[in-house]
Amino acid sequence: MIELVNVRKVFNAGNPSEFSALNSVNLNIAQNKVTVLKGPSGSGKTTLLSIVGCMSRPSAGRVKLNGREITSLPERFLTDIRRKTFGFIFQQPNLIKGISVLENVMLPAYPLGEKRSSLKVKAMQGLAELNIASKAASKVEWLSGGEAQRASIVRALINNPSIIIADEPTAHLDTKLSYRFMEIIEKFKSEGKTVIITSHDPLVYDAAIVDRVVNFRDGQIEGES
Amino acid sequence: MVLHPTVIANLLASYISSFMVLYATYYGAQILRHWNIESGDELQLILERKTYLISTVLSYVFGLQLLSLFLYIFTADVLCPLFVGAMCAAGTLNVNGFGYPTLVLKVVNFILAGLWLVLNHADNQGYDYPLIKKKYLLLAFVAPFIVLETILQSAYFLGMEANVITSCCGSMFSEEKVSGLGSEIASLPAQPMMWIFYVSMLCTLACGFFFYFKNKGGYVYAALSMLMFLVSLVSIVSFISLYIYELPTHHCPFCIIMEDYHYIGYLLYVLLFGAVVSGIGIGALMPFRGIPSLEGILSGFIRKLALTSIIFYAAFAMFVTYEILTSSLVISYEVVY
Repeated sequence: MIELVNVRKVFNAGNPSEFSALNSVNLNIAQNKVTVLKGPSGSGKTTLLSIVGCMSRPSAGRVKLNGREITSLPERFLTDIRRKTFGFIFQQPNLIKGISVLENVMLPAYPLGEKRSSLKVKAMQGLAELNIASKAASKVEWLSGGEAQRASIVRALINNPSIIIADEPTAHLDTKLSYRFMEIIEKFKSEGKTVIITSHDPLVYDAAIVDRVVNFRDGQIEGES
Repeated sequence: MVLHPTVIANLLASYISSFMVLYATYYGAQILRHWNIESGDELQLILERKTYLISTVLSYVFGLQLLSLFLYIFTADVLCPLFVGAMCAAGTLNVNGFGYPTLVLKVVNFILAGLWLVLNHADNQGYDYPLIKKKYLLLAFVAPFIVLETILQSAYFLGMEANVITSCCGSMFSEEKVSGLGSEIASLPAQPMMWIFYVSMLCTLACGFFFYFKNKGGYVYAALSMLMFLVSLVSIVSFISLYIYELPTHHCPFCIIMEDYHYIGYLLYVLLFGAVVSGIGIGALMPFRGIPSLEGILSGFIRKLALTSIIFYAAFAMFVTYEILTSSLVISYEVVY
């Protein structure tokens, strides 16, 4: 489904502070599987995730999504792919303060021009599935860590993406909430979605639902487990 | 003279255009030489990023280029009181040998810049840079003209001498004068020219509508729109100006931009240049309709261009007809002096 060919990413190229975050990474990520990118901090996991999710471009190499080369796409095409194909769950919930949970969840769907009433129904369904429908009208500042994380998951799903990208999703969750998060991932898998997670949390990469663990170190794939 | 605000604006616009076009051409040459969309090389990815910058810069530069034609005419018009003998832009442009060549280049560059913008817009619609090499080839062709225009324009403005006695438009676009393109056009008989104008306008519009609705004859319309552009320019000198000035002997194509005539010239020229650029833009894009990434998109864009060109030509014809119908001038016979 996702194919990375000789992907390199260099930051500050040509400067004394030049840093090579990824070095000739070749990787195939299968559809409808849960893949975990495991490795210590600074190993290049998040950089790779941002390239796969069309949030940044590699310095060299190509990324193919369903056989279509996407790294060369002009920005507006990338935006479209990003919006319709990927759902992002970050380490921090990154919800926008000052507006309600419901507004936060509906926000990524606004550019698609869907009717507000049907969008609201969809958002409420998503919130209900993760047991936070009662918080829909609340401002995000009032949510607990777990509630904020679940709100961000609903937001990631609002455009019904086929690929979920989660960057260190359990880093700020306690054990109970981390298990709850993995249950949600299991549900995604059962719905046919592809999930890519970066993590160095054993609770994540040792989970039964994980199909593949790719080990990263110093910007390279070290092996699989 | 060179410190006049409009002259500074002209020179500044010209230098910026030339500098940016040369910068873009340098990277355009690299793209022409090294572009390979199949490759994931670092150079290819750098070029892919660079082309955004160049396209954006050139869009503004060529937009400025389009405006600079009218700024140039406006400048020539406002400077005319400074020269003995000049009554309008026609006289100012004649103060030295660089004024008219610059104007001709500006007209040519307006069309070329417009075509580049059309090509660039079409290229941006495709996900795989389908026209990238074509648009940078066109840029390599346009760049020397832009630089030459800057050189000629600089020579024109910097070489202006206040003590030069120049010619007025009455003598430059006169039926009496025996030589010069302006006088030759001015001496064309008004009534036959009017027939030629209206018949060719009808043919152009009919062909345009046929292409718009039937999607056939795109190349013919592109050629006709170019022809119509030339016919219209000749017609302005030959008979349209006569009706606007309500004088049977005044053929100047520049006085119509003056306040006395409600700046109607600017409107006519904007419509005319807009019509020709969108018209020949159709011809420039026709060969690329079969490119897979532009399929369905390009046809829509070409139709929009056709409609724009038709509307502009129709509006031009309407304003000309309005001027003729409301004019006190009646040309029932050829005036011979």
